[in-house]
Amino acid sequence: MNNKVMGVRRCTWVYLVLMFFSFITYFVGRLELSGLTISLFVLLLALIKGQLVGAYFMGLGRLRGLWRWPVFIWLFIPGTLISIAFYLSA
Amino acid sequence: MQEQVIDTSDVLHDRHPPGDLAIWIFILAELSVFAVFFAAYAFTRMNNVELFNEFQQHLDRQSALLNTLTLITSSYFVVRAVAAIKENNHKLCVNWLLAAISMGFLFVVIKSAEYAHHFGEGINLSTNTFYMFYLSLTFFHFMHVIMGMVILGAVAIKAKNGGYSDIEHTGVETGASYWHMVDLVWLILFPLVYVMR
Repeated sequence: MNNKVMGVRRCTWVYLVLMFFSFITYFVGRLELSGLTISLFVLLLALIKGQLVGAYFMGLGRLRGLWRWPVFIWLFIPGTLISIAFYLSA
Repeated sequence: MQEQVIDTSDVLHDRHPPGDLAIWIFILAELSVFAVFFAAYAFTRMNNVELFNEFQQHLDRQSALLNTLTLITSSYFVVRAVAAIKENNHKLCVNWLLAAISMGFLFVVIKSAEYAHHFGEGINLSTNTFYMFYLSLTFFHFMHVIMGMVILGAVAIKAKNGGYSDIEHTGVETGASYWHMVDLVWLILFPLVYVMR
């Protein structure tokens, strides 16, 4: 099996994980679950989804050097700020 | 003597992101703006927790989930389009791109219906702080979806005319990177605005 077929197969699995995490997020909202722990859990799912998109769909995960990190850093900064804001308002 | 054609794209991708470098500068600038927006939403909410929680309940989470699924699916279709052109399969690449654009169109329809519902209720930017953030954040993202569809459309036309190959497909990767950015932003926007409380 060549690398390109492997890459597509991996992206198909990532796609399924993204869909699954989205349904979990939706059901958390539908059940009207609230509170700091729930909010941070939902945010964590979103950050993992973002990292999966960056690493596999955008293809940054296979890079070496600086370009491997911009999406991770982008997720980390607003993720941290949102967490702090929700923590302070809890 | 037989000439050997080597696909250098994967080697080049070892250090450089897929697509044109200029689009990555643009993507980073756009992501920075959205990061500021997200932080502003979260810190403004700190002083208006009850207001944000109350009006968040009025949003249509089912539409938001559908929009999330359409964007994720369209992003996956774009991945398939890039894989197809790397196999020098123009027709398949165009088909995947058209499928991705269709999903983008579905997003626009669902979001427009949501906006129509809100505007029908007399909600606008000055209704309250929550709606100011909700409408401006989602509409800013909405415009990016439309722009992404235009970019993918241009890439699809060029791909249909044989403008890309397994050796040279920078344009397809450039369009794909932009579209993934649009998806990426929504993945944070969805839980932040519709679910976290």
